[in-house]
Amino acid sequence: MKNIKSIGIYFHNPKNTNGSALNYSEIEAYAKSLPVVKAVWNSDSFLVAKLDDIGTAIKEHGIEKIIIAGDTPGMIKPLFCEVMSLLGYNKEPVVLASFRKYGAITELDTERAKAILYCAVKGIPFEYAAIPGEKQAKPETLVIGGGIAGIQASLEIADAGKKVFLVEKTGTIGGHMAMFDKTFPTLDCAACILTPKMVDVGQHSNIELLTYSEIKGVSGEPGNYKVNIIKKARRVNLSTCIGCGSCSAKCPGKAPSEFDGGTTMRKAIYIPFPQAVPNKYLIDADSCTYIQSDGEKCGVCVKFCPVNDCINLDAKDEEVEITVGNIIVATGFKTFDAKRAEQYGYGKYPQVITSLELERLINAAGPTEGKITFRTQDKKGNPIFTTESGSPRSVALIHCVGSRDENYNKYCSKVCCMYSLKLAHLVKEKLPDADVYEYYIDMRAFGKGYEEFYQRIKNEGINVIRGRTAKVEQQNGQLLLRSEDMLNDRLIEQPVDMVVLAVGIEPGEDAGDLSNMLGIVRDEDGWFSEANYVSDPVNTYTGGITIAGVCQGPKDIPDTVAQASAAAARVIQSIIKGKVKGSIKDISLENIESKNK
Amino acid sequence: MSTRINPDFKKDLIEFGIDEWNECFHCGNCTAICPLTENGFLFPRKGIRSIQMGLKDKLLRNVDPWLCYYCGDCSDTCPRDANPGELMMALRRYLTSVYDWTGLSKKFYTSKIWELSAIIIFALLIIVLFAIFLPLNPNAAQLVNESGGVMINSLVDGVSAEQFVRIIEYGDWTMAIIVAFLLISNILNMFYKVVLKDNSVSIPFYAYFTEAWRLIYNFVTQAKFSKCDSNKFYWVGHLLIMTGYSIMFAVVVVFLPEFQIEEIKDWYHWQRLLGYYSTFGILFFLVYVTISRIRKNEIKTKYSHPTDWLFIVMLGLTTITGILVHIFRINGMVAATYYTYIIHLAILVPMIMIEVPFSKWSHLAYRPFAIYFANLKRAAYAKEAKTNVSPAYA
Repeated sequence: MKNIKSIGIYFHNPKNTNGSALNYSEIEAYAKSLPVVKAVWNSDSFLVAKLDDIGTAIKEHGIEKIIIAGDTPGMIKPLFCEVMSLLGYNKEPVVLASFRKYGAITELDTERAKAILYCAVKGIPFEYAAIPGEKQAKPETLVIGGGIAGIQASLEIADAGKKVFLVEKTGTIGGHMAMFDKTFPTLDCAACILTPKMVDVGQHSNIELLTYSEIKGVSGEPGNYKVNIIKKARRVNLSTCIGCGSCSAKCPGKAPSEFDGGTTMRKAIYIPFPQAVPNKYLIDADSCTYIQSDGEKCGVCVKFCPVNDCINLDAKDEEVEITVGNIIVATGFKTFDAKRAEQYGYGKYPQVITSLELERLINAAGPTEGKITFRTQDKKGNPIFTTESGSPRSVALIHCVGSRDENYNKYCSKVCCMYSLKLAHLVKEKLPDADVYEYYIDMRAFGKGYEEFYQRIKNEGINVIRGRTAKVEQQNGQLLLRSEDMLNDRLIEQPVDMVVLAVGIEPGEDAGDLSNMLGIVRDEDGWFSEANYVSDPVNTYTGGITIAGVCQGPKDIPDTVAQASAAAARVIQSIIKGKVKGSIKDISLENIESKNK
Repeated sequence: MSTRINPDFKKDLIEFGIDEWNECFHCGNCTAICPLTENGFLFPRKGIRSIQMGLKDKLLRNVDPWLCYYCGDCSDTCPRDANPGELMMALRRYLTSVYDWTGLSKKFYTSKIWELSAIIIFALLIIVLFAIFLPLNPNAAQLVNESGGVMINSLVDGVSAEQFVRIIEYGDWTMAIIVAFLLISNILNMFYKVVLKDNSVSIPFYAYFTEAWRLIYNFVTQAKFSKCDSNKFYWVGHLLIMTGYSIMFAVVVVFLPEFQIEEIKDWYHWQRLLGYYSTFGILFFLVYVTISRIRKNEIKTKYSHPTDWLFIVMLGLTTITGILVHIFRINGMVAATYYTYIIHLAILVPMIMIEVPFSKWSHLAYRPFAIYFANLKRAAYAKEAKTNVSPAYA
């Protein structure tokens, strides 16, 4: 490669940087101080939309290489490439210095941003230039999140003979997968795959399970993290509870069941679902009469409990501190709130339901014993589904609700196409006479056996229509869907009895707090950023912290399991070596400069 | 039938207000939410497809952009922010230039210099004609009638009131005939491109007559427009400006001798009330649209092409000078009446000569005729039973 003598740096969008608080004036001053940098521009210098102006600026300084620096500079790369090709260069000399990609976001990361820029100027990939030193690592591991990713990672490490702390926010492990009826494309029973793993976790001597617990704070350094965990008051003694259910039978407090996606009600003292691990009761403070009345009313569960001192209604949250060498983050996702997409009438029309609700209806252990029925109300007016409320004769599934939409989330949630096809199949299986319609934008059947599954569904008498439904309206007691049937070049207005919204997936609500505590980076959409999307998909820029599952980006169950095993492999590697890689943020600018002169 | 792809077609559209055509990923949301689209006339998505693929010929025989009244629902709900409503608007500008066989429309849309020069030339022409042939009578101060109003037709020395009205009337008719000739020939051109060149349909002959009444009905009531928007205010406003302008046009061109008279009637006389209604109608909508375009508070007024502004300014100035002439007349201000009258004409004439046949205002003809042509095609579809009846999967 020839020796480049003049470089121009364009700072993209330093004023509106999507939550980034880097000190851009300092970075620009640093850029000017580098000897080969002949010009430094930003949006004040010229409008990027005007290719002529860029061309003039390039010619003026005889620029041979352009660096676009900024939070997400890739967006404007094509413009510069076009200018370079118009000027007769090829596109290679247009290089990105992406601060967010390497975790430089807060004001404290300004040094790192300079280092990223320095590497771009030198033409060295940052990840090769900035290799942090190794540190001593403790053999214990913390896994945050008890979904399929957390379960898989915990089992891999525990089976290797190493100690794992598995922290789960809710009362049971299992996560979203426990709620699903079948998995695509094989139509295996999800619970049959998951529950044995859950039991393994519960019984494993190397796994210390901390359910109903949350991370409060993380301190220390890679290889030696001190983690403070709040064990929320479960109010039922885990070691003495025999799970007889006498308490729940008499409990007057009710709330929508989280596990059943709000399709039915549960008691204030409850087991999340029959196969829960640990299979012990817990008390939800928000719906408990005793706690809400400050101990004046109720307390009936204590009276009926056959075990002495098992239920302690006045129990308080506890805090524990553990020391671990590695942390695996597997916090998963939350589904898109369908009420936000007002055009589909979720919350307004009772027969518009979400895919997660349908998932519970179809499940034989669900509130309707596997029958697909209409939403109705219980005596107190709570919306529930019962076995008696009648079945729809036509069901429509709408894809991409809250995904691939600039108004909500612009990314593709990746799983909705396949789970919608699966749900369409299951609806047809449960209601053979019902008409099933699927409205999609693009059918993304991307995995092994997925395309075949799609073709199979199409041959099952399900009407698969290319065209997004614009809105759902009520007409003559039915729901009317209007859409363009693109492949048949016509407009269709379809009345159906039930509409299922294939809601997309979003980062969990506490992902932001967790990323601050752990010092890991989130991308623009809120997913945790991996060190390298292609070649290092489980590590983060913070030493000793790996990520697995949907918290890193939308993915289906097979990919999640694979990534969880990969994360566990990294951790086991570190435990065997007794060492862990440090954090990139601990490398100073001088260090990088002197190493790469 | 083969379809030619013209990869550079998109670039022709930039000057008409389309600078981004690749955003659309064809989800069909815009077509589904549009209250006016129907089988056989699916828009806006298909139009965007034609742009993306460079299907120029297909777009030229497409009346769909004219069937859109731009309520903005499609742009509001578009998951890609591709702005289909504005693409339709820009396509209407483009099609206007296509229907215009003189090629002037394209010049006016794509070059501000051309448009402004044309306006200035017409304005100067009016001023020069008045200066040479119809100068103000030096003794004009006495030219007020017993009620104190200016005798507007007698301001020129040596030209009787009757002659003056006749001269203006001839001028008006000349203008009207030129504009009518251009419009009619452009509509014939549109008919050729949209109906005759579209080999996919054969229009049943009777349809030309059966559909004709709907052309008139829709022109008068804007019935299609009323279906478009949940905001009926906009439709009422547009109906006001349309009727107001049509009345004014009839008064000025057809019935000038009856209306431009020396006597000043009482304010409640029907002639004056008619004038007030028209003025109010035009002004009301004009102010509404101006505020909306400045604030950019609605999707349909968010993006303004230079020609949109020019149209508003010209119509606004015409209305204001018209009102001023009226005020000066009533108050017996002779010189002010005369000069404002000339300015009024110097704005009015270029506005009509340029806006009506070549620019934004041509929609007064293209829209109703597009609906007419669409109805012809619909009759052909019905005859051939080409379209499917929804619900499609019933």
